[in-house]
Amino acid sequence: MSVVISTTDVCRFFGDDDETLVKAVDHVSIEIERGEFTAIVGPSGSGKTTLLHLIGGLDNPTSGSVNLSGTNIAAMSGTALSDFRRDHIGFIFQAYNLIPVFSAEENIEYIMLLQGIDAAERKRRVTEILKQVGMEGLADRRPNKLSGGQQQRVAIARAMVSHPEIILADEPTANLDSRTGIALLDLMKELNERHNMTFVFSTHDEKIMKRASRLIHMQDGKIVLDEKK
Amino acid sequence: MLLFKLAFRNIFRQRRRSLLTAMSLTGGYVLSVFSFSMSAGSYNNAIAFFTQDHTGHIQIHKEDYLQRPKIHKYIEAPEDLSAMLDANERIASHTLRVFSPSIAYSDTDNTPAQVIGVDLDRERTTSTLAAKVSEGSYINSEVDGEGYYSAMIGAGIANNLDIGLGDELILISQGADGSIANDIYMVGAIVGDRTSSDRSTVFLPLAAAQEFLSMYGAVHEVSILLNDDGRAREEAEALQNLLPDLSVDPWQVVEATFYQSMQTDKRGNAVFMGIIIFIVFVGVMNTVLMSVLERTREFGVLKAIGSRPAKLAAMITLETILLALISVLLGLLISIPLILWFTYSGFALPEPMDVGGVLMSHITGELSPFVFGAPLLLILGFAIIISIPAGVRAALNSPTEAMRSH
Ligand SMILES: Nc1ncnc2c1ncn2[C@@H]1O[C@H](COP(=O)(O)OP(=O)(O)OP(=O)(O)O)[C@@H](O)[C@H]1O
Ligand SMILES: [Mg+2]
Repeated sequence: MSVVISTTDVCRFFGDDDETLVKAVDHVSIEIERGEFTAIVGPSGSGKTTLLHLIGGLDNPTSGSVNLSGTNIAAMSGTALSDFRRDHIGFIFQAYNLIPVFSAEENIEYIMLLQGIDAAERKRRVTEILKQVGMEGLADRRPNKLSGGQQQRVAIARAMVSHPEIILADEPTANLDSRTGIALLDLMKELNERHNMTFVFSTHDEKIMKRASRLIHMQDGKIVLDEKK
Repeated sequence: MLLFKLAFRNIFRQRRRSLLTAMSLTGGYVLSVFSFSMSAGSYNNAIAFFTQDHTGHIQIHKEDYLQRPKIHKYIEAPEDLSAMLDANERIASHTLRVFSPSIAYSDTDNTPAQVIGVDLDRERTTSTLAAKVSEGSYINSEVDGEGYYSAMIGAGIANNLDIGLGDELILISQGADGSIANDIYMVGAIVGDRTSSDRSTVFLPLAAAQEFLSMYGAVHEVSILLNDDGRAREEAEALQNLLPDLSVDPWQVVEATFYQSMQTDKRGNAVFMGIIIFIVFVGVMNTVLMSVLERTREFGVLKAIGSRPAKLAAMITLETILLALISVLLGLLISIPLILWFTYSGFALPEPMDVGGVLMSHITGELSPFVFGAPLLLILGFAIIISIPAGVRAALNSPTEAMRSH
């Protein structure tokens, strides 16, 4: 199996003096392999979100390195990092965060537009992916005309459509009722199995954790347990 | 294309706010267009007024006659010059004049008078003198049975000397050769009324004035009307090159006081408009910045999924420019009929307004690309400037904030 992401002694501290210093992520070294379906779990404030941000190149570590497909993104910034995120990482947010003035279809199309993919190919991929997330027929709806579960399906489609190496999701089901949440997770799992897509997500929900193939437990910024099933 | 859609939809998202912003931009635009039109229009009217009244577009004199008029600074034998001006197709017409201060007498009274000898036929097509005759009729250059030339006198002189049509008028002055000049004329017409600028003027046929002043065919001034009134400076320069021994000046120099006060006034106007537009823009900048701050999360998401920071800034600029364009188009729709009416019809003022020394009682505007174009460029330029701080704010937005918002 090939390693998609690895971190080496990655740290993210907030605050500058000793009293206010928060070690949100503290010397974390992990390797995530292609096709894994990994959940990051742990109590509130244990550093799950911060770790996902570091892996996703949204935040720069205080020290240590983050390697994605052989590139150390800890050292990158600005346009280079933007382009790297665009081409290699997909994001799913707890609050869906679709662009409200765009329809479902346009939300998915946008990222391909940033990549410079031509119109015909964009159209083809949008149609295909909407079918995969079970949203065919709702392409023209704007987010405010979609339920939370439907919005999150569009968000999954948006994250997948650029064919990233990895999809990161910070509590993707936290805003959904448990049945919708589980259905959504099943969809992610199905995409993971069918396309060998790598997912890393955080969650508090026991039922969600059960579906993960690997559980990384965090506490006080450190990994305390790494279970592979 | 999708970016345009995004910008457009974002504008229409906050309908009420966009409408208010657009309205203040539209209002600022219409106000600027109107003000530019009024300023250009009233000055153009004033310019048209005095260039046609007497100044012409270009004047030719001997030496520094314009600054220091002396009777002996005259243009000798102007026939060749006259023929050359007649042959120039950019010149509509020209006239020849002589000037001298004098004292006018009736049987009982005397009063100072400015004698102007004019080429009666040429003056008719070059200035509005013929139209200013208020009593009698435009004179000719013949002598009557008793050997007297006719004169047209200002209403002020008629009043001071208590004379009218058909009465005798005696003029005394000094000739170009230093001799005492005096002669008798018949009043053939009265010019203007007691308030007009010609109230103390006596107009004589050119030949009569030349004889009176012992000037023998010479003239003090050639006044020229051009076909294109906007080319006074260029044509004056061209004529000056042809006439190295004479002084050729455009109306901007002849009426230097007016011209300078017009320039000062226009600058003042521009500054005033600039301040108004600036106030409008501070308000607009505020709303643009606000709309970006409100969308912090959205910009964070756009950035997280891979929009380049510069692209986000460009998006804000595009949004602002689109809004400004929509506003200006709306402003054009409003101001085109307004300026058409203003230019071709205008309105009467309750009190006459002083425009650089010329009293105007009816105001009309000007219709020109400048009047519409200058405020348009100003607004679009401002829109770009305004979007910079908002764009920078969006570009610097941290994507982690977006991920964190629960
Ligand atoms: N920008 C910041 N400035 C200061 N401290 C921060 C910042 N972001 C996170 N922290 C702190 O870092 C620690 C880890 O936060 P993080 O959000 O990663 O936890 P989490 O595991 O995602 O928690 P939750 O389950 O509540 O989402 C917390 O103590 C938090 O207060
Ligand atoms: Mg969190």
